[in-house]
Amino acid sequence: MAGGEEVTLDWEMFVFLFLSAATLLSAIYVIRAREIVHSVVGLATCFIAIAALYIMLSAEFVAIVQILVYVGAVVVVILFGIMLTRREIMESEKR
Amino acid sequence: MNLFEFCYGIIHWLVDLVNHLWYWLGDVLPWWFGDFFDAVGDFAASQGHLSVMTIFLEVVIVVIIALINVLNFIWIFRKFMGRMFDFYGPYYVGYGIGGWLQNLADGIKLFVKEIIVPAKADKMGYLLAPIIYIGSSILILATIPFSENFGVSTNESGTYVPAGALFALAAFAIAPFSILLAGWASNNKYTLIGGMRSAAQMMSYEIPLLMTVASVFLLAGSFGFVDIVDAQHDIWFAIPLFIGFLIFLVCLAAEVEIIPFDLPEAEAELVEGWTTEYGGMRFGLFYFTTTIRSYAGGALATALFLGGWHGPALIPDEIWFLIKAYIVYTVFQWMTWSLPRVRVDQMLGIGWKRLLPLAVINLMIAVALKSMGWF
Repeated sequence: MAGGEEVTLDWEMFVFLFLSAATLLSAIYVIRAREIVHSVVGLATCFIAIAALYIMLSAEFVAIVQILVYVGAVVVVILFGIMLTRREIMESEKR
Repeated sequence: MNLFEFCYGIIHWLVDLVNHLWYWLGDVLPWWFGDFFDAVGDFAASQGHLSVMTIFLEVVIVVIIALINVLNFIWIFRKFMGRMFDFYGPYYVGYGIGGWLQNLADGIKLFVKEIIVPAKADKMGYLLAPIIYIGSSILILATIPFSENFGVSTNESGTYVPAGALFALAAFAIAPFSILLAGWASNNKYTLIGGMRSAAQMMSYEIPLLMTVASVFLLAGSFGFVDIVDAQHDIWFAIPLFIGFLIFLVCLAAEVEIIPFDLPEAEAELVEGWTTEYGGMRFGLFYFTTTIRSYAGGALATALFLGGWHGPALIPDEIWFLIKAYIVYTVFQWMTWSLPRVRVDQMLGIGWKRLLPLAVINLMIAVALKSMGWF
């Protein structure tokens, strides 16, 4: 894509803007969500968007390991942690 | 000619055809319309647009082929169950072709059902979980090539994207997250227990799975499907890594939740596991996606251990690949209808106490073979 000060809206730029917007918005959603499981969903989205950004930087291996480790393991461990702690999951009346 | 070039040709021809009409329209219409039409036409003919559209077409072709195979798989599943339990299986719908149309009939039935969201369910998680599950499962299919010339994951120069096999396993690893989310969001005890069991099972069986796959990567010296299959030109990896092949099949059975390991949806204890609250086409898609995962698992076992598309040249490469994948799936079904379901503690015991040490031994065998220079 064109370097320097001229910014052209080609496909790469468009995909980059989309992915960075997804990363930032999901990161904000992680801290803004009322339900803590929704935060984890936002966290997973954030990790996947970052993995896609790694692919754009042509670092495929890092991207794959990012998905394998973070989405496949870390997020699930966090979910386990949330669900095994004491919470009234059967009454979600408080919203 | 590989699939990318084929699709590129089709897209290029289509864009040319449409652009003729489009530029003509731009000439006919007055004033500034002309410039606008020219800009859109130039964009449509640009290299980036053509590549993206080509990849879309490739994805559509590969997914359609996969879905047809999945229909066959469900049919094999039902017929095989019938044979094992001494009844006919699907018979009347599609009378002449062994009841093959029964799947389509069931699909139509599920389509016309009402889509219900439980009142107390967590809306976002309930709606998002099937999307993640289905999307990540279909993503696996995108990485698996049927032959050197038939696969999505090529770039413009026709070479395969590196680390395709690892990418397939990474896409496999997303599923526990969506299952746990589905189990939690349905707001039901049984779905929550099923989701917990499923995630625990998938996470603990992923470790021996990845270790056996690591031994394959070690022998092949590559993460890509094409290199791995080429490395098996002389001898299939299932022969030197026999232990690894067995571990891989067992772990795959646990990953795709078929019967010896289907305790996440043990219908006698948990009504239907984590899919209990899903009805209509959502349940249909879950069911379908489980079979997609079986298909992907069979294809992975074929590519990593059974020599991929190598075989006598009488039959095309792609057909060889599918034959092997079907055989692996039939072995899965044989296992399904002959073995009883394991208990939760037994399942975790098998995973951590039996398969993991065996996987380490398998990795040591692979290291020994590699260091002796046999591969």
